[in-house]
Amino acid sequence: MVLDDFLHLMPLLILVMGSLITMLVIAVKRYHKIIYIITMLSLIAAFASLFEIGIGEPYHISPLFIVDGFAIFYIGLILLSSLVVAMLSYAYFEQREERKEEYYILHILATLGACVMVISKHFGALFLGLEVLSVSLYGLVAYLRTRERSDEAGIKYLILAAMSSAFLLFGMALVYAMSGSMGFYEIGLYLAASQQVPLILIVGFGLMVVGIGFKLGVVPFHMWTPDVYEGAPAPVTAFIATVSKGGMVAVLIRFFMQTNGFNYPTMILIFTIIAIASMFAGNILALMQNNVKRILAYSSIAHLGYILVAFLAGNAMGIEAVTFYLVAYFITSLGAFGIITLLSDEERDAEQMEDYRGLLWRRPWTAAAFTAMLLSLAGIPLTAGFVGKFFVLAAGVRTELWLLVVMLALNSVIGLYYYIKIVAVMFSQTNVGHERQALHPSAYLVSGGTIALLAILLIYVGVYPAGLMQLIEALIISIYAPVM
Amino acid sequence: MNGISMEAGLLLAAILFALGLMGLLMRRNIIFMLVSVEIMLNAAGLAFIVAGMRWAQPDGQVMFIFILTMAAAEVSVGLALILQLYHQLKTLDSDAASRMRG
Repeated sequence: MVLDDFLHLMPLLILVMGSLITMLVIAVKRYHKIIYIITMLSLIAAFASLFEIGIGEPYHISPLFIVDGFAIFYIGLILLSSLVVAMLSYAYFEQREERKEEYYILHILATLGACVMVISKHFGALFLGLEVLSVSLYGLVAYLRTRERSDEAGIKYLILAAMSSAFLLFGMALVYAMSGSMGFYEIGLYLAASQQVPLILIVGFGLMVVGIGFKLGVVPFHMWTPDVYEGAPAPVTAFIATVSKGGMVAVLIRFFMQTNGFNYPTMILIFTIIAIASMFAGNILALMQNNVKRILAYSSIAHLGYILVAFLAGNAMGIEAVTFYLVAYFITSLGAFGIITLLSDEERDAEQMEDYRGLLWRRPWTAAAFTAMLLSLAGIPLTAGFVGKFFVLAAGVRTELWLLVVMLALNSVIGLYYYIKIVAVMFSQTNVGHERQALHPSAYLVSGGTIALLAILLIYVGVYPAGLMQLIEALIISIYAPVM
Repeated sequence: MNGISMEAGLLLAAILFALGLMGLLMRRNIIFMLVSVEIMLNAAGLAFIVAGMRWAQPDGQVMFIFILTMAAAEVSVGLALILQLYHQLKTLDSDAASRMRG
């Protein structure tokens, strides 16, 4: 390790330091506010250190990691989302668990895992990042011990995630057995050199798709999504919906780019089927739900399907569309789950449809923000979601993926129904108003401010997408740079 | 170790993996489900060692040690969760523990 290596890994090192300091401070004294401030500071410091890394040549910390513009963009995205989740968590945990400090250790570690995944270019690094993320998430999902559904969600997630890890690992082992290397690029070289891809290698890739598909929560590996979304505390759900899935999408893009995966029709066919199945299953199952968290869970399955459409376009435009859509989806999901967090009381999360009846008359601003988030998920103009969907469609049309484009348009219509249903409930007149006990006002200020910021960002990106698109184009371009 | 071909080693790993998967799908006791997952993870580890042997590289064994470490971490979290679940429900039957529907 030379000094340059440390410089390029600085965001990750800061996160490691942050989690260690948090652990030590907890050992001395449990004080929620201080732990919270340390967490925020380490996330902000990690984000600031990204600016120190030049985005010139991709930097290889061989053979495991690669730091380039693509990685910097996704790490920045992950750190900012994680920051937002941390801001929302304070008020949420302040009124619940007695031992709330360890939450922040797990939170930082999970973020670290996602960042490691983003910069990995080797199976070993990918596995490490994935497991740091997953094992922290087991703890986070089951964090509220007194709520019985928390345990259930935790154990379900643990068993299924461990199973998917086993699939991923077995697939990696088979690929390694055939190609003799675990680096993405070397595997690509092996694939290009061999005339006929051996059967064991195909089986290996198939098993890896199971593992990756599970983490993304796409059909047919989506069974865990609604239960975990429902059982986990609302901020953790926001974390799973954004950071965990975003990290996996980044790995998928890098893997396909470096191995030239888009040249293999079998892979394209598999992902096409997965994308169409995810869009339909997600949207149709969401129609039957009455629980807002479950609706958002099924909608996330559908949204991953949309992302796969752009991903399958496989060219520069497709990758940019994926990234843009992901940013829009992150803003929207964080906002939506943030509002659920904000409205939740001590006993349970605000997840029933009834909790939202007449929200407009009780808390007009919250209702307005939630409406904006839902409309963005549905893809209504003037929101980030619309622009994202537009780029995805454009990428699909450009590469003439007509089947996928038609399916996407059809599904957007189905999706509109259940988003509008929630909006309608919020707008309906009612006179049952149950007052919640007021928390510390400053805690609400932070959460409320975060939501307001997200709502403004949502509209801003929706009205003026060019700025974000330029940033994406400038940074993402490095993914095509010739890798050694 | 020259007597064992790579195919035989991978076949053994695949059989172990399939046994673990079958156990996971058929067992209703959560602890046995956890054990089955462990078998699947170790099968993947074995496959890595066989693959590393073929190329005479240490990478396979490095991955195996990672897998062992990860599996240990996973089991410790898993057992803690199972303990918690048992305190609340007084059962380890996964069907009885599953109450979220939809």
